[in-house]
Amino acid sequence: GAQELELLERLLGLPGGNKYGVQGERKVPVLHTNNGPGLTGLMTIAAHLVRQARKDQLLGSTAEEKAVVQQWLEYRVTRVNGGSSKEDTRTILKDLNMHLEDKVYLAGNIFTLADILMYYGLHHIMVDLTVQEKEKYLNVSRWFNHIQHYPGVRQHLSDVVFIKNRLYTNAH
Amino acid sequence: MGFGDLKSAAGLRVLNDFLADKSYIEGYVPSQADIAVFEAIAAPPPADLFHALRWYNHIKSYEKQKASLPGVKKALGKYGPADVEDTTGAGTDSKDDDDIDLFGSDDEEESEEAKKLREERLAQYESKKSKKPAVVAKSSILLDVKPWDDETDMAKLEECVRSIQADGLVWGSSKLVPVGYGIKKLQIQCVVEDDKVGTDMLEERITAFEDYVQSMDVAAFNKI
Repeated sequence: GAQELELLERLLGLPGGNKYGVQGERKVPVLHTNNGPGLTGLMTIAAHLVRQARKDQLLGSTAEEKAVVQQWLEYRVTRVNGGSSKEDTRTILKDLNMHLEDKVYLAGNIFTLADILMYYGLHHIMVDLTVQEKEKYLNVSRWFNHIQHYPGVRQHLSDVVFIKNRLYTNAH
Repeated sequence: MGFGDLKSAAGLRVLNDFLADKSYIEGYVPSQADIAVFEAIAAPPPADLFHALRWYNHIKSYEKQKASLPGVKKALGKYGPADVEDTTGAGTDSKDDDDIDLFGSDDEEESEEAKKLREERLAQYESKKSKKPAVVAKSSILLDVKPWDDETDMAKLEECVRSIQADGLVWGSSKLVPVGYGIKKLQIQCVVEDDKVGTDMLEERITAFEDYVQSMDVAAFNKI
């Protein structure tokens, strides 16, 4: 939550210095502002930071792109959380794998906030996947490998390794 | 390397497999590599080759910026999986005995595409070659030349060694190193061009001075 936002700030090239807190049981991130209660919610704060950094294209350019970005941000916030069960994880990976079959990025041909937050959200899952699972969700692996190499995204997070030769699958 | 014939179904299948776990032909950003392969494909890949199709549609979206993408376009045979035979210009899918011949093929059906790439590559090679002098492989050798006894005239011995002239051989500094019993060996440096001069040849010519030289050894051999 809050950690991700700090990573995002650095990726966006923002000066930093924002104060984050958490709220409630589900540890919803809060951005403390000088006046008022502060801004709540991962998606909301992230979008705010993007606009602050004047990188609005990360939210999508066309109406359709913006909608798709919102869709995946919502998915990220509601489905991908620290405490996902094995069952949930499998569903998430299956959904993403299907969606990414014909797309390079979540929103199609452009890199957006959806890719960034999904990457941060999925990192702890991807780190634990077996080689077989990585191959099973081949499109997710391809996408994840691409995003982690995108300049500025990975920062201090560990590099998830994807081996080049496929061991388990022959036919596609 | 290469994908085989990208105008054939088999070639597209190789491309499809290659792209299953990659977003781009090379690296993690779109580059001239992608443009080179994109231009070699006649039409969008069929829907069942969905990785190739995904890549094709993505690269198509960069159509307007294609001139400004990084990298240099290389011959198609330079891209793709390492274990596929380079058959650029070949008309058939079958694996024939062609050696990997990047500068031409003896196939009558050489396509315009392959011919153009070959011309381009030849021109690049020629201009590159004419711009800078070829880098020659050189080595620095330290030779130990031993006399018969302590009475041998080392100055004369050195003179004899230095008199050995050859194309690609340059003598360097030398010194006399005592080995015991008053005998001194001549340690002399030389720089040779690997293609032209070898230690065998040097040994032969040095030991030819039988009056002075008992033997010769290579004390050190370094590639420059």
